[in-house]
Amino acid sequence: MTLTRRTLLASTMLLTAMGPAFAQDVAREDTVIFDLDRTIKDPENFNWFTAGTKREHGAHQAMWEPLFILNYTTGELDPWLATAITPNDDFSEWTMTLREGVEWSDGEAFNADDVVFTVNMVKGNEELSAREAAVVRTQVASVEKIDDLTVKFTLSEPNPRFPTENFGVRIFGSFLPMPEHVWSEVDNPATFAFYPPIGTGPYTYASGATNRMIWDRNDDWWGAKTGFRDLPEPQRLIWLETGGEESRAQLMATNQLDAAQNVSIGTFEAIRFQNPNVIGWFADYPYAWPDPCARQLEINTTVAPWDSAEMRQAVAAIINRNQIVNVAAEGATTASRTMFTEYGAMQPYIDAVIEAGHGVPAQPDVEAAKALIEGQGYTMGSDGFYEKDGEELSVDIHVNSASTEYTRTIDVIVEQLTRAGIKAKAVPVENGVFWGEVLPFGSYEMSYSWLACGSVNEPWTSMSRYTTASVVPVGERSPGFNNTARWDGPEAEAYTAIVDRMGDMAGDDPALPGMVAEAYGHLAEGVPFIPLVQSAKLLPMNTTYWTGWPTAENAYNHPAFWWGHTHQIIHNLEKAE
Amino acid sequence: MTTQNAAGAAKPDLSARQIRRMKRFDNPWRNPKLTWGAALILGIVAMGILGRIFWNMDLVFTGSAPLKLPPLGFENLRGQPGQTDFPLGTDGAGRDLLALIVIGAPNSLFVGLLASIIGMSIGIFLGFSAGFLGGRTDDTIRILSDVMITIPPLLILVVFQAAFGDVSLTLMAILIAAFMWQSPTRLIRAQVLSMRESGYVQMARLSGASTMHIMFREMMPNLVPYLFGSFIANVTTSIVTAVGLEVLGLGPQRIPTLGRIIYEAINSGALIQNLWWWWGLPTILLAVMFIGLLLINLGLDEVSNPRLRKL
Repeated sequence: MTLTRRTLLASTMLLTAMGPAFAQDVAREDTVIFDLDRTIKDPENFNWFTAGTKREHGAHQAMWEPLFILNYTTGELDPWLATAITPNDDFSEWTMTLREGVEWSDGEAFNADDVVFTVNMVKGNEELSAREAAVVRTQVASVEKIDDLTVKFTLSEPNPRFPTENFGVRIFGSFLPMPEHVWSEVDNPATFAFYPPIGTGPYTYASGATNRMIWDRNDDWWGAKTGFRDLPEPQRLIWLETGGEESRAQLMATNQLDAAQNVSIGTFEAIRFQNPNVIGWFADYPYAWPDPCARQLEINTTVAPWDSAEMRQAVAAIINRNQIVNVAAEGATTASRTMFTEYGAMQPYIDAVIEAGHGVPAQPDVEAAKALIEGQGYTMGSDGFYEKDGEELSVDIHVNSASTEYTRTIDVIVEQLTRAGIKAKAVPVENGVFWGEVLPFGSYEMSYSWLACGSVNEPWTSMSRYTTASVVPVGERSPGFNNTARWDGPEAEAYTAIVDRMGDMAGDDPALPGMVAEAYGHLAEGVPFIPLVQSAKLLPMNTTYWTGWPTAENAYNHPAFWWGHTHQIIHNLEKAE
Repeated sequence: MTTQNAAGAAKPDLSARQIRRMKRFDNPWRNPKLTWGAALILGIVAMGILGRIFWNMDLVFTGSAPLKLPPLGFENLRGQPGQTDFPLGTDGAGRDLLALIVIGAPNSLFVGLLASIIGMSIGIFLGFSAGFLGGRTDDTIRILSDVMITIPPLLILVVFQAAFGDVSLTLMAILIAAFMWQSPTRLIRAQVLSMRESGYVQMARLSGASTMHIMFREMMPNLVPYLFGSFIANVTTSIVTAVGLEVLGLGPQRIPTLGRIIYEAINSGALIQNLWWWWGLPTILLAVMFIGLLLINLGLDEVSNPRLRKL
């Protein structure tokens, strides 16, 4: 009975969402329905420069287009709104060429003025706090229009990775130029809602609510007129909040969803049992796509007793990664060996770290951990928990409650710490609170995150996120979620010095692996975070109505359809026969 | 036709069976509904006690068993058979269902009982005070309980629990108890009002007994069956509230309760994976618990109200 009720509930939900769809006669087979794993708090606000769900509900997958798209398969930047970007000799100036004939959906031309305007707007307003905006603000010293299709960026420091870091959707999003003719009229860009929104993409905003966002194809799209790309086949795109694994699985099994967010491997098998049209990244076990954001346990290094590096090392020694792999990921991922994602291009750096002996050990060493804890003056109490001066050794671990992967990993860690004598407790918090309040302001002792995420083909990006330059006091916002652990002190300074030198070097410099290993030595001593496991995203894609989804065999790019590169997925979709 | 019984007195037309039942009602507490209800509830308590003695309780912790094993004699979607080490199967986080239930079911009962005891105690005290003392005291208590009874408890509790984060079983019971005293207060006040004017109370008053003595030594014993009935009804409500919170994921985190088991099952896609034992077993136990409480309640009604007793 429960099963039927849930199915009913799910279908009602979908019917409500599709109400307007029927009204305007877009057939189901012309519609692509994507899964949204969060509520859209303010569906009539499209100011992506400020916090909130303002991009991943289709806005940056369908309406706004990026300048480039990093191709995860080739490691190259695929040109999109821009056609090329070239540096000067020391990487301190970059000249970008824009594509000709690009238009905003209201008919205005997209050109260098829009790019220059948006960069200057972000530079002049600290309240535009999105990560992409914050990075541009710190990296770009000035920007200048050469002609309508050429823009020159002068950087505050030489940066060989400037295009990938800012304009290539390397992780989740990229810096999106906004229409000057709309935004220049605005008094305060931090409070502007940008509603109704316009973009250059092949879809325009149709309607939105807290649980869905609907986009309709713009048949007058510039790309089709200029021959850049054909019009995409889907006439309508819907991002629908499905609310949890069970309901997304039911929707997928009954063809009411075309691409679903992460599910556990057991659920995926069950969906396939009911609906053989559903596919994953790999055709066989483990099905999942290796996501570049490896998981970690972030430790706030300002809160006693975790402000002691020995205590953090003790926690690192207690954690048994293999159990996390087996219980939380049901064997569908692997234990991390370093902070880096285990991509092929990262291998030289991972190898260098492991050769230097700084990798995380494969097996836990609880005895060593106990020695470290006892070295800090703790004694084992009669109830099996350490105590010092009558106070029990305890820790609250904040975890985003949006996914069972997150909560279950922390359940496993809580169990391991408890058995080792640390009274650990999971504190599940809602997605918005977790990213909006807990992490950036340092209001936690430990938390489950992936904030070392960033490097996919070079080591610097991830490593630069834990330098002392990003340390702010607890209660202030960490810039771009960097070093939310607030790791400081001599060890961190030695680390920062090396990472800063790495920042000026080209990505293929042969000295890099050695420097990575040296810097990593300081990181392994300081332990601002503990690498846990690689992340594997099992994203069910439905071939009942649409084919051409990205897979390991058809790897035109990766399948994370909440990222800004999803334009490529949408252009690749074909109606199923 | 008349029959002679042992004492030789004439009885109206009654079969032997009816006579047996008559005799049983000589002691109103020997009520079959009451007995069955108590047996079901005691069964759950016994399961909790025996389970703790004979079963390995460490299996309630995450990662202590293989994942998603079915109960003995069944197969899961992957074709794995049940194992004797985990006779009722395991959940998606590697916890043994038997161990979870052994700990979880008495926990759910405990929350209900504790919340109800606290709520009833407050209710008895306030109800007697209001009914017996009257005047300003009565007005204050009556208005307070009338206002409180209009507030939907689950709504407030969801906010409370979300703010507290991880709560202990006791704290949860106390929070629930804060919404469990209004109806006993009102009911008891009404009873006390009618009883206040009766002869024995007047008598006690004339003999100079103190207010407390009259309220709790003279009047209370007459209300016992009635209080019991109300108590059991309150336990049921408390458990429903507690399970409601747990199913929303707002109960204690690391302490197993039936509601939390169901929450985790739903959250991990147990329905579509056909892991029926994961959500089914706690549901059955909850049903047993509610049927037991209902039977006790019906039984107590018959005890306190002889007209309900059927021959």
